Amino acid sequence: MAQYPERKWYTGMLSTEDWWAVWIAVGFFFISLLNIWGIDLVGWMTYPTKWVFSPPEGGKGAIGHAFYALGKKYSVTAKGFYKGLGWWSVIWSYVIFGAALTIGAASMKWNVKKFIGGFTIIYFMTIATWFIGHHAFIAATKVNMHKYGLNFALNLGGGGSFILALIVGLIIGNFFKGFASYLSEAAKPEWYIKTAIVTLGVKLGYLPIKLSAMSQKLGKEAAGLTFDLFVAGAAATVVAYLIFWPGVYVISRKIFKLPRKTAAVLGSGISICGVSAAVATGGAVRAKPVVSIMVSALVVVWAVIELVILPGFFTHVWPGTKDPLVAGASMGMAVKTDGADAAAGELLDEFMRTKIEVETNGAVKWPEGIITASAVMTKVWIDMFIGIWAFVLALIWVYKFERREGERVPASEVWHRFPKFVIGYFFCWFFLLAIYFGPGQSGAPEAMPFLKTVKAGAVPVEKGMRKLFFMLTFMSLGIITDFKKLREAQFGKMVWVYFVALFGFIIPVAILIGYLFHHGMTLPNIAQYVK
Amino acid sequence: MAEEKKEISGTGSLTGEALEAEDVLAGAEEWSSTETWLVVGSFIAAIIALVIGMILVPTSILH
Repeated sequence: MAQYPERKWYTGMLSTEDWWAVWIAVGFFFISLLNIWGIDLVGWMTYPTKWVFSPPEGGKGAIGHAFYALGKKYSVTAKGFYKGLGWWSVIWSYVIFGAALTIGAASMKWNVKKFIGGFTIIYFMTIATWFIGHHAFIAATKVNMHKYGLNFALNLGGGGSFILALIVGLIIGNFFKGFASYLSEAAKPEWYIKTAIVTLGVKLGYLPIKLSAMSQKLGKEAAGLTFDLFVAGAAATVVAYLIFWPGVYVISRKIFKLPRKTAAVLGSGISICGVSAAVATGGAVRAKPVVSIMVSALVVVWAVIELVILPGFFTHVWPGTKDPLVAGASMGMAVKTDGADAAAGELLDEFMRTKIEVETNGAVKWPEGIITASAVMTKVWIDMFIGIWAFVLALIWVYKFERREGERVPASEVWHRFPKFVIGYFFCWFFLLAIYFGPGQSGAPEAMPFLKTVKAGAVPVEKGMRKLFFMLTFMSLGIITDFKKLREAQFGKMVWVYFVALFGFIIPVAILIGYLFHHGMTLPNIAQYVK
Repeated sequence: MAEEKKEISGTGSLTGEALEAEDVLAGAEEWSSTETWLVVGSFIAAIIALVIGMILVPTSILH
């Protein structure tokens, strides 16, 4: 039974990225809730704003204000203190997040010294690209560029920073390989993105609270919409996966003549949540480790390519702003790896919101995060499927293909392969929803002072921490992505399987199913409530 | 293949240990009836899930 070692239900809680994403994100979430009792310990979280070298008279964009502590805007009890932090919030965030991550790294028995060195460099490179990406020429839209004295802007919103971080990471990963190797101990896109996904749960739970501050009706609409996405995402994911996996398996076996185990791992890697699924399936069917590793490498590289292509395609070619949630859900089903998917969803969210604002000349504005949520929702369900499918494949391989006498697959395998960060994501979401519907009285006017204290804590986590971890993800993803791998002869066949399966099968099916379950879903217009 | 790769912490992250790849791409077995059952069964389950889902999910195009 070497394949299924004896493990307790709590095995890995202090030694895996999955669990450490939960501890760190949920930990900061709980600290943020101290705001309910008037203690603001999260207002230091840094956030960028658009800037220009020479702000116009009476306009916006001074470099001195390019980074600020979110407590400056949202704190109820310590606004004055956090207002004074300004750029120092960058250092505060480095020290506090760095300490939290280092504890995690030490617990996972990584090389702590290398981690601290690597994280320091990655963090400050990330801040630098975040800063550059928020130059008004890149981030401003046609609607607000005049406030910065500009007559032209790239309209990329916050998405420009993500792309920039990815480009910087890719340059390091492909042209400065010694440097990339030094950074590798801290270049952990899966860990950063899983942490960001847990904070996305905070975002979802906070949405109704945010919109209630605008109007109680909007708050209820947001709560209903996110629940609809949850249900539609579940149905779409189950259908998509049951089509994806056998489709890719047949392509691999019949067209590319690959062996069963390799085809099974490829099927999971291309169909589900890439890296984790490839590793889980590789274990389930007892494929040689190299198969999972090769598929994982391909997953990362292709995910980056999808990340660059799909958000722009969905925004500017089809379905555009007519069906933003079809685009988000399709993205979630098509882009493999949690990191690239959530990041692509974030990019899509920025692009779509910017586009609708420009198209309507500011008459329509969508709340941030719902399109991202639609992408993550399908991905989260797919992640849940990993454990179940790995279990099914393990049973088939054990009892049908290999018939190992006397071997039993323990049911606990499903738990051990379950992506644990999903628990943190749902926990934060439902916890805030309980606050909203419980003491928050569904956003009733008399509960607004209470909800304002919840907001003071939630915003730094769902906005500052989440975006920072997305940025760290993009930078790290670039750093570990080596395009040379694609050129290697051994990868050639798999590259083609992946290409054919992804563009000829996965993406079209994802779009079709996303359409069937999400077509016509609309986002609330918050234009009248925001500047 | 001398490219260095390795797997850590069960996460699938890539780092370094030399591995050969050829033997996992060659030597495809004959297609078996179990595979047919697995693939067809999965497609049938998908169709059933699609029909039920489109009836039950209020945001589907049937509603």
